[in-house]
Amino acid sequence: MIDERQLRAGLSRRDVLIGLGLAGAALGSAPLLSACGVGTSAPKSSSSGAAAVTGSFDWKKAKGKSIRVLRTPHAYVSSYDSLNLYKEFTDLTGIEVNVDDIPESDYFTKLTSELQGGGSAHEVFMTGAYFIWQYGPPGWMEDLTPWLKNSAATSADYDFEDIFEGLRTSTRWDFKNGSALGNGGQFAIPWGFETNVVAYNKEVFDKRGIKPAETLDNLMQLAVDLTDRSKGTYGIAFRGSKSWATIHPGFMTQFTREGAKDYTVDGGKLTPVMNSDTAVTFTKKWVEMAKTAGPTGWTSYEYPQCTQDLADGKAMMVYDADSATYPKNKGTAVAGKLGWHPGPAGPDGSYATNLWIWSLAMNSAAKEENKLAAWLFIQYCTSKEALNKAATTGNFADPVRKSVFDGAFKTSIGDKYPGYVETFEKVIASTKIQFTPQKKFFETTEDWATAVQDIYGGQDAKTRLDALAKATSDKVNA
Amino acid sequence: MTSTVTGRSVGSETPPTGMEGGGVPPPSIPKWRRSAWPYLLSVPAVVLTAGILYPFAVGVYYTVLNYSIEHQYDAFFVGLDNFKSVLSPSSTFFVGNAAKVTIEYALAATIIETVLGVGIALLLNRATVIGRTFEKVLILPLMIAPAIAATMWKFMFNADFGVLNYILGLGRFDWLSKGFVLPSAVLVDVWIYTPFVAVLVLAGIRSLPREPFEASSVDAAGPLYMFRRLMLPLIWPYILVAVIFRFMDCLKIFDIPQVLTNGGPGTAASTLQVNAYKDLIQNGEFSRGSTYMFILWILVFITARLLVGVLGKAQRRAAGSED
Repeated sequence: MIDERQLRAGLSRRDVLIGLGLAGAALGSAPLLSACGVGTSAPKSSSSGAAAVTGSFDWKKAKGKSIRVLRTPHAYVSSYDSLNLYKEFTDLTGIEVNVDDIPESDYFTKLTSELQGGGSAHEVFMTGAYFIWQYGPPGWMEDLTPWLKNSAATSADYDFEDIFEGLRTSTRWDFKNGSALGNGGQFAIPWGFETNVVAYNKEVFDKRGIKPAETLDNLMQLAVDLTDRSKGTYGIAFRGSKSWATIHPGFMTQFTREGAKDYTVDGGKLTPVMNSDTAVTFTKKWVEMAKTAGPTGWTSYEYPQCTQDLADGKAMMVYDADSATYPKNKGTAVAGKLGWHPGPAGPDGSYATNLWIWSLAMNSAAKEENKLAAWLFIQYCTSKEALNKAATTGNFADPVRKSVFDGAFKTSIGDKYPGYVETFEKVIASTKIQFTPQKKFFETTEDWATAVQDIYGGQDAKTRLDALAKATSDKVNA
Repeated sequence: MTSTVTGRSVGSETPPTGMEGGGVPPPSIPKWRRSAWPYLLSVPAVVLTAGILYPFAVGVYYTVLNYSIEHQYDAFFVGLDNFKSVLSPSSTFFVGNAAKVTIEYALAATIIETVLGVGIALLLNRATVIGRTFEKVLILPLMIAPAIAATMWKFMFNADFGVLNYILGLGRFDWLSKGFVLPSAVLVDVWIYTPFVAVLVLAGIRSLPREPFEASSVDAAGPLYMFRRLMLPLIWPYILVAVIFRFMDCLKIFDIPQVLTNGGPGTAASTLQVNAYKDLIQNGEFSRGSTYMFILWILVFITARLLVGVLGKAQRRAAGSED
């Protein structure tokens, strides 16, 4: 017999509860695998459009075309925006430029998704040199060598060789794991870059009559001496978050100077050696320095926190990108009080320095008819003329061209940035990517940062680095 | 016996209201439209289901390939190698630590939220001004996106300038250090989702019949006795619904540990979802990431089945049809 009350209500309390329970289960489970549906098979770009460009060079050759550029807000971007350089480019070439800006925290996730899906929404994108190791092998980046070599597509005034050698070679690779940079295709053109050195609170140093440290042991002692937790100040800031970007600045620079290496290469097989005696000793010291003289929440520190602590007068030194500390000398609590130093030399006097290069690259999936316009845009942005203009604003550090650094940049910087130019000149000859190039760079380097965090958390350095080396070997040689 | 459902007798020949007095009959619907109608009605559901099932199937398919950025164009069938790789304790890609962290997180967050949520619901059930006001304010954390809430808490956790250390007088206590990051992440989860449990249980309490409580009161039953013997069994199904929602949600936790520490320090907050995100999105290891996700799906599915079974049993007990 049907209960009339139930029929009127339609659903019983039990039905509702069962429904809610099942809905909860469904909500919890079904979308999980939906997230797996990433990735599509995109056709591999096979040819470069450079060969189709013939005749004499003319900036107006792609007049009427329109390109879209993917950027991440940065001092390099704002310098060009403030000077209206894109408009100048449009006036020069007749090419319309549209830009999309994505915050740096999400930038590479967005870019990777677009490129992996074979998207051609953006003809040109900003990238770092390491990303060539990930984006290059699947064919997502256009090899720019044919464009550079084609006098019909490249202005005779372009002078590619004027770009610092370490930067040119760092953006060139042949996609063979362990193969030295500088071989293979030119997959990006350097636009702005940064060397990893020490910036310090010169006012405090001068008051106390101290000088920046010349050896790692002295740097550790100096950092401890400058730490006064009761006043909220500490000796030295450097990155400690769980990211590949923790390894690449100060850590990799000093790691290399101390004589350690990430891998040895033998017949195309990579053997991780970040667990060598030299590497273990260095890692212990680095972690010890973070504990005794670093920020309290070191394991979440990225470059904005490091440089902001310097700007607030909390950190006495920062071992990070020179171009990230450079802007803190204006409009902050320590404005005009900062100084720069190359950081400790290695036991053999080495000033080997790791770098980051913001570069411009061309999407290989871009429509063929837009590739010349894209190349002209890259060429213009990295030209002497544009870089000279940007350098005069005083916000474009560091320009990638020697002529611009020696000219406009030095003039604009004057004597307001003590030690900046001297530091740059000391390290530039030995500045390059110090990592061994390999396709699993981001995954394995984040693993490295994870291991450093574990050591900071109390794990034995040798044991943890041995485990890291084994896991890394499995990954890079898979 | 004929049951009256809508006010007219079942089987009555009387025409419905509106047809009486020679009203215009509705236009006849062609037969093909009548027969197509059920299929048309089901189209949105079919599209929605396909929208979920297609990526699901693709994800499962990836688990048996070696699909990655490196093998984007030459991925091939590898059978169960990915499962062997992530399920073997000696493997570099062993899922054990991530599964342990995920389950610890889910258990801790669900238990705390349930206990607190039930307690808050009991307090709010009193018809006081404070109760009525608090009931409305309580849901505010639920209106904040978890990623934003986690960002906010990240600032509050900051060892140097975080408000928590200032208020609690903890000096430079590092809430996000290796030993404390998981409890800190659970704390954020508790802050966001306890109101959800409280609201759900409160709705359950308010739907209970008054008679048993009045009868108990007449029999001089104490508040604790009434809670244990009357209210708890009756609201148990609602509590279980909240537990199911929260536990499922916690098993697939991603945003809070990711925002707080990117899953670190070390692997202290690396949940299955965080690992899957890194492999799928950051590292371009699509097959390995899909395998992580598939294992998580199995975990969630089995847990859901078990919990729904417990829920059904609790409902039958609350209804008095099972001891």
